[in-house]
Amino acid sequence: MMIKDRGFLLIFAFLGSILVLFLMMPLIKLFVSVGFLDIFTTMQDKEVYESIFLTLKSSFYAVLFVCITGIPLAYLIARYDFWGKSLLESMLDIPVMVPHTAAGIALLVAFSNGYFDFIDTTTGIVSAMMFLSAPFLINGAKEGFKKVDTKYEHVARTLGASPMGAFFSIVLPNARNDIINGALMMWSRGLGEFGAVVIIAYHPMVAPVLIYDRFNNFGLKYSAPVATDMILVSVCLFLAVRFVNNRLR
Amino acid sequence: MKATGFSSQLMLKIEDLFLKRGSFVLGKLSFEVPKHSYFVILGKTGSGKTMLLESIAGIQSAEGSIYFDGVDMSKVAVQKRNFGFVYQDFILFPNMSVEKNIRYSARYRDIKDSEALFEDIVQFLRIEDILHRDIKHLSGGEKQRVAIARAIFSRPKLLLLDEPLSAVDPTFRNSIMKSLKDIVKRYDMTIIHVTHNFREASFLADRVGVLLDGKMQQVGPTYEVLNKPKNIEVAKFLGFKNIFPTTILGFDQHNRYFSVDPNKITFGEKTREGVYCFACEIENILGISDHYKVFAKVGEDTFFCKVHKSAFEGKELKDGDKTNIYIEKKDVAFI
Repeated sequence: MMIKDRGFLLIFAFLGSILVLFLMMPLIKLFVSVGFLDIFTTMQDKEVYESIFLTLKSSFYAVLFVCITGIPLAYLIARYDFWGKSLLESMLDIPVMVPHTAAGIALLVAFSNGYFDFIDTTTGIVSAMMFLSAPFLINGAKEGFKKVDTKYEHVARTLGASPMGAFFSIVLPNARNDIINGALMMWSRGLGEFGAVVIIAYHPMVAPVLIYDRFNNFGLKYSAPVATDMILVSVCLFLAVRFVNNRLR
Repeated sequence: MKATGFSSQLMLKIEDLFLKRGSFVLGKLSFEVPKHSYFVILGKTGSGKTMLLESIAGIQSAEGSIYFDGVDMSKVAVQKRNFGFVYQDFILFPNMSVEKNIRYSARYRDIKDSEALFEDIVQFLRIEDILHRDIKHLSGGEKQRVAIARAIFSRPKLLLLDEPLSAVDPTFRNSIMKSLKDIVKRYDMTIIHVTHNFREASFLADRVGVLLDGKMQQVGPTYEVLNKPKNIEVAKFLGFKNIFPTTILGFDQHNRYFSVDPNKITFGEKTREGVYCFACEIENILGISDHYKVFAKVGEDTFFCKVHKSAFEGKELKDGDKTNIYIEKKDVAFI
């Protein structure tokens, strides 16, 4: 690298490090102030680990449902032009823009009609998480599919594959990274969902609600270890999925 | 699928094929491809060559009929047509090794004697050493051989090749061309190959079709198409020089043209009998290594002539000189 690049790189590195510091500081401070002992003992609290498990499980169910329904939708949007396509794409992005409490109210109005066991249930929690985070997976998959040239499918078809066969053997594996990234984004976004979930289901408590509940009733000292445990578990799982995906590549 | 009256020697019969995409129109095209022939479709970029191949393969939906061995394939799904397809940019599946790419069709089709066929193809196309490689680490020539191997392994009766040599290093082009020519007999198939390259056409083709602006202008045996263009568009596309109306030769027919090879035009001071002789004025002379490029104006038309330097010795011709050009009658190609 040329010596005269050094000044330019230093300026950019300095500016970037300000942001990195800002993003990392709260997490590091939280871990340091709570301490290893509290992190460990709080993790053994039944209410805490059940809440964290419920959060992980609910967000995973939401991702699973959107994988089954949203990936085909993303494929259709990526591959075909049809009437109302732009409108559909805009509508799919709406949940990202609306206030989360408003989304919770909208879900309540739509689904608490007696047909679904919705309020204070896992179904309600999954719905709230799904409503607000589905666009991350759909958009990720859509971008992934766009990167796979349609000619791959054409060739696969001439070699005997049905449209479904070509999709599963060629398109999906080659869009995998974007889909997995989208799924991870959706899943992690679901883990942090509070506004909509708290409207629909205060109980059973997901981790963000439990953190809020403990902060409200007992203060920072009791809520910080729960928050730390939740962050720790999420980061570990997030890194594990990324690691496995990279190994499979 | 319905059968139709069909000569046993004909494999593919296209009838009134029509396709419109945006402002581009392909067709209506009608032509036939005999069994076990190597048919090359020549055309400029954007003339609809790939679209035509994709229509035959069923990738693009088109109006008209496509009969294959007497059976109407127009409504048959792509995977059931059994037409192999090789794109110019190879389109090897990135999530598979070379061997898995080649064997892909075995997932969906019952390939007869697949192991023997696989070994034969691998040996024929010289890809033994790269079988386990990732496709990212292949050269252009290697990718092309793998793409061809993959198509052959699926045992198609008809192989459609879309500019298969355009992205291949010129060093490997000759060897791949030789392999392509051998495929027809070795693997009992018919090939339709689209290209803009005349050299490929003259080396490979038994029959040639010229596709210009979505219209099939001429179809016939290679020598005939390349040497006797049916109309002025084909002649211009094939690089024919000196295309002029036959009226300047003294014929009455309007809308008829002739062409003459620039190498066959000679110069002289005297008028001559038994040849076409025109008084001309030299517009420009360019000295190129062993020959001159001479632009000679005859009336409103300018003839382009290539004259060997030895033939000009002692003549001392220069721009603006008035002289005669001679064209032997046998050298005139009527269009």
